[in-house]
Amino acid sequence: MSKAITVNGRALAVDADSETPLLWVLRDHLGLTGTKYGCGIGQCGACTVHLDGAPVRSCQIPLGAVDAPVTTIEALSFDGSHPLQLAWVSLNVPQCGYCQTGFLMAADALLKAIPNPSDADIDAALTNICRCGTYDRIRAGVHRAAAGREA
Amino acid sequence: MNRLNRRTFVVSALAAGGGLTLSISDAHATRTADEFTPWLTIGSDDTVTVRVATPEIGNGAMTQCAMTVAEELGCAWSHIRTEFAPVNRNYMEGDTFGKADDYLVYFGGRSTGALRMETLLQAGASARERLKAAAAARWKVPVGEIEADESVLTHRVSGRTLRYGEVAALAANVTLAHEPALKPQAQWTLLGKAAPSKLNNADIVMGKAQYGMDVRLPGMLYAALMQAPVQGGRLQWVDAEAVRGMPGVHSVVVVDPTEPRGPRQAKAPFTLDYSAPQSAVAVVADHYWQARKALEALPVVWEAGDGAQWKTTDQLKTAALEACEQPSKVEKSVGDAEAAFATPGGRTVEAAYLTPYCDHATMEPLNGTALVAKDRVDVWHPAQQTQMTFAIAVEETGVPPQNVHIHQTFVGGGFGRRVFGDDVRMVLAVARKVPGRPVHVIWSREESMRQGRYRPLQAVKLTARLADDGMPVALRARYSGRGLFPMGMSDTALMSGLIPNVRIESATLPLHILTGPYRGPGYNSHAFFLESFIDECAAAAGADPLDYRLRLLAKWPDPAWAKCLQTVAKESGWGERTPRGEGRGIAISNWSMGGKPRAGTTCAAVARVAVTPQGELSVKQIDVAFDCGRIVNRDAVLAQLEGGSVFGLNMSLNEALNIENGRIVEGNFHEYPMLRMADMPKIRCHFGGLSGHDRFTELGEPPVGPVGPAIANAIFAATGKRIRQTPFRNQDLAWS
Repeated sequence: MSKAITVNGRALAVDADSETPLLWVLRDHLGLTGTKYGCGIGQCGACTVHLDGAPVRSCQIPLGAVDAPVTTIEALSFDGSHPLQLAWVSLNVPQCGYCQTGFLMAADALLKAIPNPSDADIDAALTNICRCGTYDRIRAGVHRAAAGREA
Repeated sequence: MNRLNRRTFVVSALAAGGGLTLSISDAHATRTADEFTPWLTIGSDDTVTVRVATPEIGNGAMTQCAMTVAEELGCAWSHIRTEFAPVNRNYMEGDTFGKADDYLVYFGGRSTGALRMETLLQAGASARERLKAAAAARWKVPVGEIEADESVLTHRVSGRTLRYGEVAALAANVTLAHEPALKPQAQWTLLGKAAPSKLNNADIVMGKAQYGMDVRLPGMLYAALMQAPVQGGRLQWVDAEAVRGMPGVHSVVVVDPTEPRGPRQAKAPFTLDYSAPQSAVAVVADHYWQARKALEALPVVWEAGDGAQWKTTDQLKTAALEACEQPSKVEKSVGDAEAAFATPGGRTVEAAYLTPYCDHATMEPLNGTALVAKDRVDVWHPAQQTQMTFAIAVEETGVPPQNVHIHQTFVGGGFGRRVFGDDVRMVLAVARKVPGRPVHVIWSREESMRQGRYRPLQAVKLTARLADDGMPVALRARYSGRGLFPMGMSDTALMSGLIPNVRIESATLPLHILTGPYRGPGYNSHAFFLESFIDECAAAAGADPLDYRLRLLAKWPDPAWAKCLQTVAKESGWGERTPRGEGRGIAISNWSMGGKPRAGTTCAAVARVAVTPQGELSVKQIDVAFDCGRIVNRDAVLAQLEGGSVFGLNMSLNEALNIENGRIVEGNFHEYPMLRMADMPKIRCHFGGLSGHDRFTELGEPPVGPVGPAIANAIFAATGKRIRQTPFRNQDLAWS
């Protein structure tokens, strides 16, 4: 059975069971491996993508329920020039880096909703898990990107 | 009927679908033309490639190795790139890479070991001089008139220039009469000075960095794995037929630990017994989700084995604590502790502590990919120890080492979990039953968490005799568990001179739970035990915890210990009054000192906490000071201190695995909680403890030691309650 979805601006037909989580559709069927598997139960946020612009945990969304355009880390920018990406690189935010694409997608959604977020805004929006403990630098990265956008 | 025989069907069905050939790029398995040394190539486009024998697990090892080469090479930073050193070549060429370090650091560990740094500095210096010699030959001028900087060779007299790449091919064939001397450290311009963005950051933030989980190969199949739920158990029955018709399913693979394997032909840093295969089943399918659904539907019966005797966690804890009440095997004895205890006078302090099993919970669940052909094996793996991976692949497949190729990927968190190689063992055990096809084996999060190689559960009974001045004259530690690591107990300053009479004993319990290194193995429990207990001694002596430690250290020949304590005390406002229900605690420990002063990394912490009368704990601030001798990258040092502190914090506040009828209960983050952004205290890392002693020791493990006991000691200061077990979230902290 084939399902039509739009990912990163491209209309695609996916041949997978409708119960297949969007996470695995992206990773295994479409080769978009920037979206990560961490827990499979919506806890860790490593699989965060945008569905119609809103951050969602793609492990919790079956393919059959995908009814809006999907944006993944691969389309956050095409050359790494997104203010968040630049801030992440210059502040050396990542350690192992596995969780960071999920954080970036959550942070991008936050900045679109609140262009200059407070620490409390960041705490509320970025509920992902980083086992390396980069939280302080992630917070600094969001603030730096926000400041850059204002400038 | 024993359905295990169905395996025959399984494998032949796959072989029919095989016949796929892959072209596998393994270009650097032998010497390349642009190679100056096996560690370093320079291309005609000026690109400098540094081969790194250390997996990148997030501590910046790759970038650090590149910086070390660049320090002497004088190349532009923008021209540098890295690749992983091929372990196959290392085998074929008699330890080409391995001889540059001891067994642990070689293809594992860190990048700032003395021999590793010297090797890379020398590789850079040698290449620089050979480039100069090639330019001198080209220009027919004395080599002494040539300068090398920023990837450009300049003839001082004439002002002529050449790019490195223009003479690289020539230079690679130059033989120097003498290897150049290395710069003195005082003349370093990069090391200790610069903190560039890590070389893989750009790929990480674009989602392009390839972790083990991201390996995609033509014709690749996916496997979902389930190992015996009680570790050490055995598969009794499986009905492979039941899932045969499910979508995408190719086969069911059974891993039998008793099947013969190949000879152990390749040198390994640890015994391969640590990677022993477990009884398991796996479903192989076109896509992971199909494999996983079929695995969930697969009828399986397991035989639990001896582990089922452990019905509850309490049963296990009780056994561990009871074992500490009796004399046991003597691990270390200095002076005569028993005689000191038998001498009248002074006072005795005694307390029992316990730390539970903990899982590494790397964000990237365990996984790996292998293609096992008749005469060649390729493995794509997020290994923490590539040489171990290689030796295991040789043994598991029986393919000769010269035909085994390991392709190291980025690692989505290590913390010790991916060192012993039980993960790659299982990957190969599955893939060899599907010959000719690459198989990507994925542990679900639940499988990862319930099939760990855990930080061991450990109990200890500590007894001290304090002299009339309140200072300890004897200390006895009786500990128990299984799979324990001695680091942080027998090799501590306390047990290596600070206390005149010490005795350490250990008892081994018949536990089946598999254990392994977990960030600061041994040390992560022992620092909690010893630093909580020293606090108890200070309280018994009526002394301030900081003063008491400084008195203990008065005769210790490494002044950096006191300096670390004084730094965190000053920075944290030690001694300032706090309201009831709030308090500060202090702790100090050292990772990898081996019983010697001016060795390993010393780390001190002060924690400030608040505890409500109902027992709700909040950690407000953690101050950390350290001494690793010297540093080569200030920002990377900070990152490790920050991350290590968060790790120690989560371990102490949150982490514990429970046992039920021999199985691990917790399977995912809703049961095994992780701190998140909103939970973070202020963590402040200070450089005031640094001694400048000539060593560059580890920074990932050290903070994991003192953070927990600093919090426990702060809880005591706040509430008068002494907390002797972790995690603190499970302890009753209520006070009135």
